[in-house]
Amino acid sequence: MSLLREAERCVANQKSHVALNAFITALQPSGQWREQVKNAALRTKQGTPKSKVDGRLIAIKDNICTRDLPTTCASGILEKFTSPFHATVVEHLEDAGAVVAGKTNLDEFGMGSHTVHSRFGPVKSSRQDLDTESLSAGGSSGGSAVAVATDQCYAALGTDTGGSVRLPAAFTGTIGFKPSYGLISRWGVVAYANSLDTVGILGRNTASVRDVFNVVNRHDPRDPTNLSPFSRSRIHSYLQSPSYASRLASTPLRIGVPTEYNISELHPSIRRAWSRSLAYMRKQGHSIHAVSLPTTKLALSAYYVLAPAEASSNLAKYDGVRYGTRYGGPDSDGQSEGNLYANTRGYGFGSEVKRRIVLGAFSLSADAMDNYFIQAQRVRRLVQLDFDAVFRTKQPLLSPGSHTESAPNHTGVDILICPTAPSPPPRISKLINSDIAASPLDAYMNDIFTVPASLAGLPAISVPVTVSDEHQDSSDAGLAGVQIVGQYGDDELVLKVGELLESRKF
Amino acid sequence: MLRPWLRQSSRAARALTCPQCRQPYSSTYNSLSSTLSQSGRYLQTSTTESQERVPLRKQLKQNAKALKAEKRQRREDEEASRQKWELTVGIEIHAQLNTKHKLFSRAPTSSTDLPNANIALFDLAFPGSQPEFQVPTLLPALRAAIALNCDIQPVSRFDRKHYFYQDQPAGYQITQYYEPFARNGHVDLFGHDGVAPEDGDHVRIGIKQVQLEQDTAKSQEYPPSTQLLDFNRVSHPLIEIITMPQIHTPATAAACVRKIQAILQSCSAVTTGMELGGLRADVNVSIRQRGDTASAHQYGGIGGLGQRTEIKNLSSFKAVEDAIIAEKNRQIAILESGGVVEGETRGWTIGSTETRKLRGKEGEVDYRYMPDPDLPPLIIGADLVSELAKTLPTSSDKLIGLLTGKEYGLSIDDAKPLVELEDGARLEYYQDVVDILRDLQQDQDPKSRGGLGRVAGNWVLHELGGLLTKADLPWDAERVPASSMAQIIDHLQRKRITGPTAKQVLAMVFDGDSRAIPQLLEEESLLLRPLSREEYTALAEAAISQNPQMVEQIRTKNQFGKLGWFVGQMMRMGEKGRVEAPKADAILRELIFKESP
Repeated sequence: MSLLREAERCVANQKSHVALNAFITALQPSGQWREQVKNAALRTKQGTPKSKVDGRLIAIKDNICTRDLPTTCASGILEKFTSPFHATVVEHLEDAGAVVAGKTNLDEFGMGSHTVHSRFGPVKSSRQDLDTESLSAGGSSGGSAVAVATDQCYAALGTDTGGSVRLPAAFTGTIGFKPSYGLISRWGVVAYANSLDTVGILGRNTASVRDVFNVVNRHDPRDPTNLSPFSRSRIHSYLQSPSYASRLASTPLRIGVPTEYNISELHPSIRRAWSRSLAYMRKQGHSIHAVSLPTTKLALSAYYVLAPAEASSNLAKYDGVRYGTRYGGPDSDGQSEGNLYANTRGYGFGSEVKRRIVLGAFSLSADAMDNYFIQAQRVRRLVQLDFDAVFRTKQPLLSPGSHTESAPNHTGVDILICPTAPSPPPRISKLINSDIAASPLDAYMNDIFTVPASLAGLPAISVPVTVSDEHQDSSDAGLAGVQIVGQYGDDELVLKVGELLESRKF
Repeated sequence: MLRPWLRQSSRAARALTCPQCRQPYSSTYNSLSSTLSQSGRYLQTSTTESQERVPLRKQLKQNAKALKAEKRQRREDEEASRQKWELTVGIEIHAQLNTKHKLFSRAPTSSTDLPNANIALFDLAFPGSQPEFQVPTLLPALRAAIALNCDIQPVSRFDRKHYFYQDQPAGYQITQYYEPFARNGHVDLFGHDGVAPEDGDHVRIGIKQVQLEQDTAKSQEYPPSTQLLDFNRVSHPLIEIITMPQIHTPATAAACVRKIQAILQSCSAVTTGMELGGLRADVNVSIRQRGDTASAHQYGGIGGLGQRTEIKNLSSFKAVEDAIIAEKNRQIAILESGGVVEGETRGWTIGSTETRKLRGKEGEVDYRYMPDPDLPPLIIGADLVSELAKTLPTSSDKLIGLLTGKEYGLSIDDAKPLVELEDGARLEYYQDVVDILRDLQQDQDPKSRGGLGRVAGNWVLHELGGLLTKADLPWDAERVPASSMAQIIDHLQRKRITGPTAKQVLAMVFDGDSRAIPQLLEEESLLLRPLSREEYTALAEAAISQNPQMVEQIRTKNQFGKLGWFVGQMMRMGEKGRVEAPKADAILRELIFKESP
């Protein structure tokens, strides 16, 4: 299909799937995109495309800044906000010839696991259960995932703080990749929890994800947490040493299975998808090894202390003074000056954001700091050490100078395979209907398998597999996300293993 | 106690009854005076008359006496309470660093430009913007910390201090709370720095830490409901210097702030001082009974202290001293009446006599300090520190020691201004004058050469300084070149010109006479042509004959002070610039006492 026809079809799909609410700002049929795609098509025809994504429509999560379209973060407080600048990732994509396919819906500021906490209404997955009830698209990058799943774009950018790209990928049957922390620039990505926030990529296959990744995986001096060119080349040469470069190419993989992930709450269909995937990999000649990540149990709690703490700090800037929506009436109800922006923040933020701000403000308060924030940081370090103990390669940033394989961990594994989420997507009605609404803790439970890789900054991908069940004929019911986690910097291996498993039917 | 009150009333009464005063208001005067005389009883008692009768001179004397007594009383009270209560003060000083860029963006630091002209995205906390630490801002910060004798920390970190205010765009200030870049310094205070006499001649105040942080925006209030914000100042790099609670007198606290400002200025760490808002101080004040070490509070690792209060945002040395005195007295009054001092934040208005409560403990902000997750640790190499330490200008303490030492022999009162004036420019000029002068005087005996430093100090500081003050001109080293100054002093030392001539020549050069000194002296025939003994005798006799009764007084009452008057007469009568005072004096004594029996 020609680039132009593909783009036209995406735009048409944006219109026909408008009820799924994947976009906050969609493309106009008469927009500039047509010229851009035509130019890219011409370049491709002449054999001089700017990149592999030249002329492709790429959707951008609405917490990533764009100069031309609003950036709302799905929040009331930024409802009409347009950023004066492009995020570095948007700049990279446009330089590579890609066309912004619009801004996708999300949980406000990225806080949520089902993309129902949006000022612009919840996102619906195109998947339905047997009773034709709409299912959760996952969150917080649910808009990006649904846009990809329903061909409203070629690929999409999301952000992943504790699983926000991988969980929607698992729930919508798409690929969701969260690279190592620090590889993709965060300049222009609206912070939720800086130490965890990672730009992620959603696509219908791993190849398209890799194409986008190659465009945005570049050093950016404007992001102080971005990996320096020196560290990048150090990691590269470390992984280029013969014994690591040969993995998958000529030597079989050692695949780790974290036993702690086999929790009793694991849904049977998910457990089946997991074990079938492992069986498939063994059949391909790779070896499977049980490994222990003992701190896993604490990781989720640590995450829900750290992320809200950073969020409460990051979101302090939204006061309606310099930008953003200001509450119409007096801001303090004539109260003392202590309530400077009470109404602006009170009406601007949604309930989940407020909950996390209060949580974070508490865990940073003088009396709670030691018991919560500091403790959670310790847990975070333990989680990281857990991973380092099981991987064959070392955390390359922690052991400077070890360019070559100094004392590799021979019993270590190359990659971990585990579920992305403990259960299939729930019904949206169950999430929204306040009478039977699950507590926020239930939603937090969805992140239990994705949070550890976030805390350790590791690359992870969720790929869809389908297990056909003799008792059910619906092909969709057996769809599950399988997560592949690698050592820091081992992003390419994670993508390759994802490619092996993606869209397998067992 | 009655006197001030009486004086006040008499003044008020006079203003209303004085006929000259009321002329322009004669039409309204009657009604005004009638209402006043009805309501103000003291007007009718008319203390004015008795007051008016006291001669002015006597009254002034009485007033001065009363004031003196009052002061003495206050001093005695002070001393008594000082004996009983010990004051403890710690100071936090915020100083704007002398840098080109803001702390975390490349926006310029100039805050004199049009409002809101110098701001980057991060300075306004735009969503998605990130900090970019400006490495050069570290240089003045390090110079300051080294000059304050701190240990520079190889690794330090940035933290966020949260509070909501419109001058704080991010909702937090980035500072170094947990791991500051400098610790364990000290500043030495001497008598000449203005420490309180009871603190002795030398006090060393510990510096707990120095940290880098952001300044806030400027807000301007236009009552009733308008606030204008200028973000030019936001994120200007600051250092906060926190002293140990080791200060025990208000005067020493002020001296400490003054000294720290001088140190910061001498190493060019800051651009402006307190007077221009470049430096602000908060003081922590607590009181405990002397000898009582059981108090529960501890600050900066020093235990056994009383409950402290913090007085924020003091913007002058006087405010520091006055606010501490007021707060000390307030706390003592509370404790003496059996009360309890509350830990709270207080404010001070210039010219007032009491600190005022800003917020109590219950209203205290929990800053929820959190390590900034965007900023990597600050790693400072030992090589940078030692390089900066090497290039740091000599400390004023060291310079003063040198100037008051044997080599220059200056008094402390001369050495101090020399070091402090014009950022060291005056000292540099002085050094040039001394060097040239010593060169010119090489042929002289060592003893007279030894005093050259002191002589030069007098001319540079007092004679040249006097001319500058009189003309109300700023310092300019080229106005009287150092070589000209040295030549004038050289001629004077060699007695080729008299003192008054030297001053006259200096004034001529100061006013723009650009002739070389020898040429000028020649052309204006100012070189001393010594008078003969006969000429001196003639002059002296002439002077004596004009005032025989004064001569008598000198003879009979030994009023030698009056000799000076005769010397002056001789100089006036003699040819300009030729009468040398010592010689005139000698002749006078000879003549006056020769004839005495």
